[in-house]
Amino acid sequence: MAEQIEAQALVEAVQQFIAQIEGRLSGREAFHAKVAANALGIVARELAQQPRAVEVAALTGFLGHDASLDAARAEVCGRLRMGQLTPETPGLLAALTTATLAKVAVDNPRYSTFRRMTEGAE
Amino acid sequence: MTDITNEAVAAVLARAGGTVSVELITALSGGAASATYAVDAVRNGEPWPLILQCAAAGDMAMGALPKVDQAALQMLAGRHGIPVAGIVVVLEPGDGLGDGFAMTRIAGEALAPRWLKRPEYAAAGAAMTGQCAAVLAVLHAIPLAEVANLALPGGSTDAARRRMFDHYRSFGIDSPVFDTAFAWLAERCGDAEPSAIVHGDFRSGNFIVDHHGLAAVLDWELAHLGEGAEDLGWLCANAWRFGVWQNPVGGFGQREALYDAYAAAGGARIDRARAHMWEVWGTLRWGLSCLQLGNDHVSGRVQSVERAAIGRRVSEVELDLLHLIRYGDI
Repeated sequence: MAEQIEAQALVEAVQQFIAQIEGRLSGREAFHAKVAANALGIVARELAQQPRAVEVAALTGFLGHDASLDAARAEVCGRLRMGQLTPETPGLLAALTTATLAKVAVDNPRYSTFRRMTEGAE
Repeated sequence: MTDITNEAVAAVLARAGGTVSVELITALSGGAASATYAVDAVRNGEPWPLILQCAAAGDMAMGALPKVDQAALQMLAGRHGIPVAGIVVVLEPGDGLGDGFAMTRIAGEALAPRWLKRPEYAAAGAAMTGQCAAVLAVLHAIPLAEVANLALPGGSTDAARRRMFDHYRSFGIDSPVFDTAFAWLAERCGDAEPSAIVHGDFRSGNFIVDHHGLAAVLDWELAHLGEGAEDLGWLCANAWRFGVWQNPVGGFGQREALYDAYAAAGGARIDRARAHMWEVWGTLRWGLSCLQLGNDHVSGRVQSVERAAIGRRVSEVELDLLHLIRYGDI
């Protein structure tokens, strides 16, 4: 442990705080408190799961050379815009699926399509 | 925007005739540019429940229909037998309330997760597929000459795709999945000239549902000229199924039943591949809306935790697009 209070612990503390005050809120504020608690869940999962590392590995694996995440995304997008890549290019959809599953696992692991694709609910 | 006072709204409503007072105005939703209010009015001693929609004059979202034209289209749809809230009065510049209109408040449930999932709406849900198909068939059969005087956006299919791409690029975001979807659409969307009035936002969240089913079609502000099948594809986007993914039509129905009922009501026979193209299109369009809502927060236009969180729904849309493109279905 590098710090007494890691980022993960801070997030959990704020989640607990929101849970404490949520019952006293109403209407729009209560709704936003729920959204805020969900947003902290995203932050906690992102810290734990590092989806960008998965995405950069998937995209650079597809491209065949090292790159930062921003550069890899920009290269794939640029080549699609120029028609050098198409949805039929072998390996493209598989790499994007790997990267996107890692993102949704962080953003909303309860999402129907995520569960269909990871739990075999098809 | 000017303050919405009971007196100011009552003065506007009096143009519809009768002795009118306003007892209560409740804000239902509001963004930077427009807001919706429930108005509890009294006319000639009788309760008169209304909805008031207004926007700061001249401040319209991109691609949205001017409020006065939105009201005119809603009235036209009503004359063709489509269930809509009746327009009571259209705001005028002298009213000081911006652009907008008041309409009758239709009784029923507007929250889709409720009518999709609560047992008391089971019969309504079963009727929805046929009713939605019939409404769309009627809408898509209205001759374009009847809306020649309205500012409905138009343009060919490929021009609309290029506008959507420019909108995507305006955010400065590189999404390899969105670019894949744009490339996929470019190979398939063709370049037809508009042939129908498209509602543009025909989805489970924009209906009032009562125990008999579809009581009103709301939110005509994204109406445009295009291909009718676009509305059917949008209705089938996964985002409006609220988790009931096994019912691809809005969380309540099956595609073949929708297409059959649409044809039986006078609509065109829906080609499965064309419908699939419009589902990819609609899903991508919803993805751009998520980018727009997230951008509202990042740019400071409307800062809120809700807008920020919606920006993280982009990945859900990306996964839906990949599923649609890889498996031809979702």
